[in-house]
Amino acid sequence: MIDPQIWRATRAIFVREWRSELRNRQALNAVALFAICSVVTVSLGLGPLMRSTEVGLVHAAFVWVILLFAAFTALSRVFVVEEEQRTAAALRLAAPPIAVYLGKLCFNLVLLLGLTILVTVLAIVLLNIRVGAYDLLIGMLLSGALALVAGTTLVAAIIARSSSRGALFAVLSLPILIPMLVTAVRGTALAFAGVSWERGMAPIQTLLAYAVAMFVASLFLFATVWE
Amino acid sequence: MALRKGDGVKIFLGLWIAAVIYSMFLVVPQYVGLGDAGRIIIVHVPVAWITSAAFFLSAIYSIIYLWKRNPTSDVAAVAAAEVGTLYCIFATITGSIFAEVVWGTFWNWDPRETSILVLLLIYAAYFALRSSVDDSERRRRLAAVYNIFAAVTMPFLLFVAPRVADSTLHPNCAFLQGSKCEGVSLSLSGAKIGQLGDVVIELKSLTKTDDLTQATIEVRMPGMKNVATLIPTLDSAGKPADRPEFPGQQFRMVLLEADATAGTVRVNMQAPGTNLLSNPRTLWVFLASNLGFLALAFWLYQIRRTILQVQLTLTPGEMNI
Repeated sequence: MIDPQIWRATRAIFVREWRSELRNRQALNAVALFAICSVVTVSLGLGPLMRSTEVGLVHAAFVWVILLFAAFTALSRVFVVEEEQRTAAALRLAAPPIAVYLGKLCFNLVLLLGLTILVTVLAIVLLNIRVGAYDLLIGMLLSGALALVAGTTLVAAIIARSSSRGALFAVLSLPILIPMLVTAVRGTALAFAGVSWERGMAPIQTLLAYAVAMFVASLFLFATVWE
Repeated sequence: MALRKGDGVKIFLGLWIAAVIYSMFLVVPQYVGLGDAGRIIIVHVPVAWITSAAFFLSAIYSIIYLWKRNPTSDVAAVAAAEVGTLYCIFATITGSIFAEVVWGTFWNWDPRETSILVLLLIYAAYFALRSSVDDSERRRRLAAVYNIFAAVTMPFLLFVAPRVADSTLHPNCAFLQGSKCEGVSLSLSGAKIGQLGDVVIELKSLTKTDDLTQATIEVRMPGMKNVATLIPTLDSAGKPADRPEFPGQQFRMVLLEADATAGTVRVNMQAPGTNLLSNPRTLWVFLASNLGFLALAFWLYQIRRTILQVQLTLTPGEMNI
């Protein structure tokens, strides 16, 4: 049974993250603008080629590449800010490591889900994507976002404690994320093509299994990074 | 001056590897259909699995480091990762050469190719992380955490993602008999289009004469490099007869089953001469190569581990790798 104090601390950190973010809106502004610019650039640059409904896999790949790079911009901030503003030591004293991890993970998840909605809606409109199975697409994006957050939050904590933070986050995250990216791209293409849930379940199950494995590993390892 | 025991082992290992290389070119028979290119398997396969083993060993030592916090375990993890990186580069190069000869391209994002590239990226990231943390204790700790975290993703990369993605040319179905690769089923009235590895195939027609069942199949090679029509056949006993070659590749298309009434076929991709290791000379050279490259990896690991250990003893905070 998990100590209720951990839940309280987790909730407090989650709320604190949002308060802090809404005060300066650094991540929200930068990431939302990045996502919008990326989709518009792809639509403008590739023109009619990308507006064809025959290129489901290419559409899916673009959606996930944009989400990935937006995530690289946004998700590392939660720990980097603590080190930059020198608040990490106070946070160490105020809350147990597991609560810090869970609070930051929840914040990243909500941020990424918002970003996913923005990118997907924009991509559907600007790239003229015909979605065959909306329910499957939602399932795929949800499980993909979970996997992406589970795979990057611990890496964000690692790079916050190194000297070259920005570049290192992408370098460390990408190899870890490739299995989930391959699966998410294929799965999203299937959702665009409108396959049945039966066929679309395999990628969702893989993404959820990946998310659970990375989440459990992170729970075990986070205290070591945070000490 | 008498040779020391260690020198004797080194000379023996050198001679062993030299004998493996010699045998690879001059003792092993040509692999039917692949010619001299098939010889590279003797080196490629051992090097590739030792890469994975080194990565696994490095992750184990990282776990031990986090448990005991003894820098010696970190030294062992680094040494294993370094040997793994060297072997990983070698496996990637030999694999690319083989891919160019057999598939007509150095790189075609086959799931196995992707996994070896990711392994290389993980090693690179591991060393990049180590070089960007100044404090030695923190460097060891963070590198160990990353190493373990990356190891958790490997089962997904090696076993799960390739199965969710398209079928691969790699996992033995193209090379060795007795594999479980079942090929692709196509139907004139249903799913006409399928995929064999990277090749898109489309069933155009199916005809039956007295002694042959003939399928007309259009194949589109990766990147639309070549489009061709192949006509594999099945004899009256239900055994594959004509096995046409894929354009620009040394693989053949084989018709495994055909039902002219229902308009359904099952086709697969085969190397013309299967059962590479059934030749005793090839099998023994392959086993000797595995032993030789494993011993070489162990030797390199011991050398590197000793050097790093000395460095750690002399300057405890300066092991900046």
